[in-house]
Amino acid sequence: MAAVIAFILFGIGILGLVLRRDLVIKLLALGLVNSATILFLVSIGDRPGARAPIQLPGDVAILADPLPHALVLSAIVVNFAILALALVFVMILVERYHTTDSTRIEQEMVRETDEEEKPCS
Amino acid sequence: MRKDRIRIIAAIGIVLVFAGLVSVMHLGSAPDPSASTRFLARDLEETGASNRVAGVYLNYRLFDTLLEVLVFSVAVLGVRHYLQQSEGMELPDLSESEVVRTAVIFLTPLALLLCAFFAILGHISPGGGFAGGVIAASGLLYVAIAYGMRAMEKRLNPARLVRAEEAILLALLAFVLLPMVFGRTPLSDLMPKGTPGQLLSGGSILVYNILIALKVLVGAWAVIAAFAQHRGEL
Repeated sequence: MAAVIAFILFGIGILGLVLRRDLVIKLLALGLVNSATILFLVSIGDRPGARAPIQLPGDVAILADPLPHALVLSAIVVNFAILALALVFVMILVERYHTTDSTRIEQEMVRETDEEEKPCS
Repeated sequence: MRKDRIRIIAAIGIVLVFAGLVSVMHLGSAPDPSASTRFLARDLEETGASNRVAGVYLNYRLFDTLLEVLVFSVAVLGVRHYLQQSEGMELPDLSESEVVRTAVIFLTPLALLLCAFFAILGHISPGGGFAGGVIAASGLLYVAIAYGMRAMEKRLNPARLVRAEEAILLALLAFVLLPMVFGRTPLSDLMPKGTPGQLLSGGSILVYNILIALKVLVGAWAVIAAFAQHRGEL
């Protein structure tokens, strides 16, 4: 069940990432994709009746698989790094073009390069 | 619009490809539960950490974790480098009302205490260096919200703190390579395994957790300070 929810969230995130034009919303969608991945990894590690993988010797409870949990840790840190850097790039773009709309930024960039090339030709 | 249609098709394609991958993973090879049971039975005596996740990511997968710490450092450096190119703004000396200040006096020591708890007991109970560092950095953010960013920057200069972060990273790498001095493989445990559940157990995981917590605390604070300096009004 958790895997299905993770997959639906992943789909929403990818659709938002590709279809929405606002850069900040694109970043939010990227965060959603990351959360869906984390949910999927946690659901892989689950087993019926499993507990969190913290155990003392002599304790015989069924434990969840700790390996996907360790991968989640990497995913969270890398997502933090990506989000921080991407936000900086969005800030630089907004400072220069005064919009967060990716299509308009592209148009502005094309216009700028055209203006630079004109005197040469 | 033709471009929009191509985008929609591309997005649906990506989602479908991932759906196919996931279903192949689920249908093609059902994970063998006995393998993970055997692995779980062994790793407690191999790592000595009763928090199995800490045992995996700071013992078996230590190399991976080191590179992850490096990714964090690169992000901190990148944020500061690119933000320095844009113009900084004059920080207004804002500070919040008495209610917020009183709440912060209560919350910040709690956050710092939780950081210490997560870092020191990360190998026995839920927690770990990364979580602890981020909690402590948000504790510092509370103080910055209540007393103003400028007052905070006088005490904790972010530019100097980035140096401290690099020093902690170097210390971490040195500690990882230290077993070579004693003629053992690098990345292997230097400290005794101990009894699982005791404070001094799990080999070097305790030292790694404390170093990582310090590094993440300093790095996250440097990122927060850089963002506040160049855009927000804290």
